[in-house]
Amino acid sequence: MKQRTLWSAILVAGLALAGCGSATRPASSPGDSSKVTKLVVWDWKSGDAAAASYVRKAKEDFAKKHPGVTVEFVAQPFDQYYTLLGAAIQSSTGPDVMLFNGGGQIRDRVDALLPLDQYVAEDEQRLAGWDAFSKDGKIYAAPVTLQGHPIYYNKTLYEKSGLDPASPATTWDEFIDDCATIKKATGVRCFALGNKEGAGIQFFLSGLGSGILTPQEYDDWIAGKRAWTSPNVKRVFKLWKEAGDSGLNNDGANSTAMFNDAFAIFNSGKAAHIIGLMSDIGHWKDFSEFLGADKVGVMRAPVVTTGVRPTLPYDGGIGYAVAKWAKDPKLAADLVRSLTTTDALTSFYSDAGAIASDTTIDVSQGPAAVGTIVSEIKGGKPALHVALSSKTLDLMGRLSQQLLSGSATVDEAVEQLAASDRES
Amino acid sequence: MAIRDTSPLARPADSGRAGGGEIRRRARHGGTGTISRTLRSERLAPFVLVAPAVLIIVALRLWPLLLGVNFSFTGDGERNGTMVGLDNYLDLFQDPLFRGALRNVGLLVLLLPVAVAIPGLLATFIYLRVPGHRVFRSVYFFPAVLSPVIVGAIFNLMLAFDGPLNTVLAGIGVGPIDWLGDPDVAMFAVVGVQIWATFGMALVVFLAGFATLDSALLDAARVDGASLPQIIWHVIIPSLTRTIQFVFVTTMIGMLTSMFGLLYVMTSGGPEGSTYLPEYYIWIQQGQMNRPALASAASTILFVIMLVVGLLQISVLRRAGRED
Repeated sequence: MKQRTLWSAILVAGLALAGCGSATRPASSPGDSSKVTKLVVWDWKSGDAAAASYVRKAKEDFAKKHPGVTVEFVAQPFDQYYTLLGAAIQSSTGPDVMLFNGGGQIRDRVDALLPLDQYVAEDEQRLAGWDAFSKDGKIYAAPVTLQGHPIYYNKTLYEKSGLDPASPATTWDEFIDDCATIKKATGVRCFALGNKEGAGIQFFLSGLGSGILTPQEYDDWIAGKRAWTSPNVKRVFKLWKEAGDSGLNNDGANSTAMFNDAFAIFNSGKAAHIIGLMSDIGHWKDFSEFLGADKVGVMRAPVVTTGVRPTLPYDGGIGYAVAKWAKDPKLAADLVRSLTTTDALTSFYSDAGAIASDTTIDVSQGPAAVGTIVSEIKGGKPALHVALSSKTLDLMGRLSQQLLSGSATVDEAVEQLAASDRES
Repeated sequence: MAIRDTSPLARPADSGRAGGGEIRRRARHGGTGTISRTLRSERLAPFVLVAPAVLIIVALRLWPLLLGVNFSFTGDGERNGTMVGLDNYLDLFQDPLFRGALRNVGLLVLLLPVAVAIPGLLATFIYLRVPGHRVFRSVYFFPAVLSPVIVGAIFNLMLAFDGPLNTVLAGIGVGPIDWLGDPDVAMFAVVGVQIWATFGMALVVFLAGFATLDSALLDAARVDGASLPQIIWHVIIPSLTRTIQFVFVTTMIGMLTSMFGLLYVMTSGGPEGSTYLPEYYIWIQQGQMNRPALASAASTILFVIMLVVGLLQISVLRRAGRED
C-alpha cells in the first residue's frame, strides 16, 4: 500500500511537471474500514455564497448522525473540475464524496464510483432525477438539483407587442407569427442564442425536441435507438438552420457565449425568448432579478409535428457520488444522504433558486414561473442531448456552428452525428 | 572517464607525497584505511554532487515522459490499461480536429515573420526618435505584463459582434465582421491579439540590439542621402541579424506554448473547431472527453514537434553565433 502511494505521488507530480499524459493502473479495491474520522468532499458549489446554508444544513445533519467525523468541503473551480478529478481517478486517490453533473460526465467515470443502490433505497421515491446518475441499472449518485430546459419568455415584450402574455403560442407556426409581431412592434429578436461553446444546439434540441419527435421516437432516442436520419430528427436541425437564416436569433450567435452573454441578451430585453436552464444559472431566479418575477413566463415547446404533446425536458442536474476508494463506503453514503435531505435541499431551492430534486418541497410561495416548471416535472422526460456522449455533443456543437454559417448541410450533419453516436 | 582524468587536479595534496601509485598500491593491500577512504569518497564526490539534479530530472521529467509515451499506447475507457499499439495515433490522424490543430501550428509558423516584423519596425521608429518615442516605449511594453486571461477578456468585449470595433467599422461603412465567430477570421483574430499582447518583450530585445548598432553607419548613410526604407534595408537589418534571429526563436516558442489562455478565453477552440491548437486539444481530450491515453498520444506528438523545432532553432542560433 505504501509503495503504491509513493508511486502515485511520483506519477501525479511527474504528470503535473511534464504535462504529458498520465499513468494507468487498475482501480484499487476499498481499503480496510478502520475508524475513519474525516471525509473529503470535492465540488464546485460549496464556495458559492448561495449554497452556504445548504452546505451548513447538510453538515449539521451528518454531524448529528456521526459525531466525531469531520467533513471537509473542497470547492474546485468548475472549469478545471473534471481535469482534476481525472488525475485523482487515475491515481485512485482523492475525495471520498464528489459532485457530478448528470449524464455523460458521470457515466464516463462510473468505473471509479461505488454503486449506491443499497444505501439510498429510502430516498428513491422522494427524489427525482435518478436516471441521469444511473448506468446499467445501478445508481451512482444521489440527485441534488434537477436540470432542464424550459423556454422562458419576456412578458413585458409580449404586452408591448399586443400579445397575451398568459397564453403563449402552442404551435411552431403561431410561435413564428408571434416572433414576427414582436419584431415589428419592438424590433427585438425572437431567441437569445449563444452557440460559442456549442451549447446553443444542445438547449435547442432538448428545449424543442418534445414538440418535434413523436413520443415513440423520443423514448427510443433516450433508450439509445436514435434514428438520426429520420425526418423528425432532421427537422430539428432544419429548424435550427432556418431559425438562424431567417434572423430569429441575435446576431453573431456563433461568437456569443451561452454562459453568460446569451442570458445577458435576454435579461436586457434584447430578445423575447430563451431556452434556459432550471438550476444553477440562466434560470427563473436570474431572469427575475432583471425582468421582474412576474414578467418571466415559461412556455411549453411549440408543436411542430401535429399530434405530439410537448413535455418538460429535464434530468438530474448535479448529484453527489461516492468514490470506489472511499475507506468507509457506508459512512460516505450517509454523507450523500445528508446532502439530499428535504431540509438542506429546501435551502438550496430558496437561496440559489435551484429546482431541487426533492419533490416534496413546497414552491407555492414562489413566482409563477417556478410553479409552471414544478407542475411539469411529473410529466417530464429526460432531455434529448443528455443521452448523447460527450464526444458526440462536442461534434454536434461544431456542426451546429457550421449549419449556422452555412458550411455544412443538414444531411451532412446528421450523417456525421449518426456515425459518432454509433461509435460511442 | 573524465572524472579519473581530472582527479589529480582535484587532489593537490598528492603532489607533495610519494606519488599516487604508491598510495594506490598501499590502499590495495589494505594499508592505511583513512587514505583509501578519502580516496573513495573523493572519487564518489562528483557523483554525489550531481545526483540531486540528475535524480530530479530523471524522476520528475524523463521518467514521467517515458510513462506518458508508454501510456499513449494503452486504451481509454473500457480498454483502460490494455496495450492497443498505435490505435491512439491512428485515431489522432483520423480526427479532423487534430489535423486542424496541426494545420494551425503551420499557420503560426507562416505568421511568424509578421510577429517579428511588427516589434522590429516599431523599435526602429523608437530608435530613430520619432516624436513621442519615450511614451511609445513604455506604452508598447505595457500589454506584456497583462495575463492572457485579462487580454482575452478585453478583446472578447472589443471584438464582440456588437462590440466597439464593429461599431467603428460600421461608422466608416464596413459591414460587421464576426471576428470570433467566423472560422476564416477567428484564428487570425486570436494570433493578432497574441502578437499585440507579447510584442513588447520582443521590442525590448530589439532596442537592446539597437544599443550595439554603430551610429556612424547611420550618419554615413544619411550623409549619402539614403531614404528611410533604404536605411532600414541596407543598414539596420544587416547590423541586427543576430537580434532578429533571437527574436524569431523566442517568438516561435511563445506562440507554440503560450496561446492556451487566449484560446480558452476567446474562442474555446471554435468556431467550428477552427482555432484548435495541440495544447488545447490535449486539454479537451483529457479533461472533457475523459480520454487520457489519447491525450498522451497527442502530447507525444506535440513533444516531437517541439523537439524538432527546438533543434532547428538551436542550429540557427549556433550558426548565427559562428558568423559573428
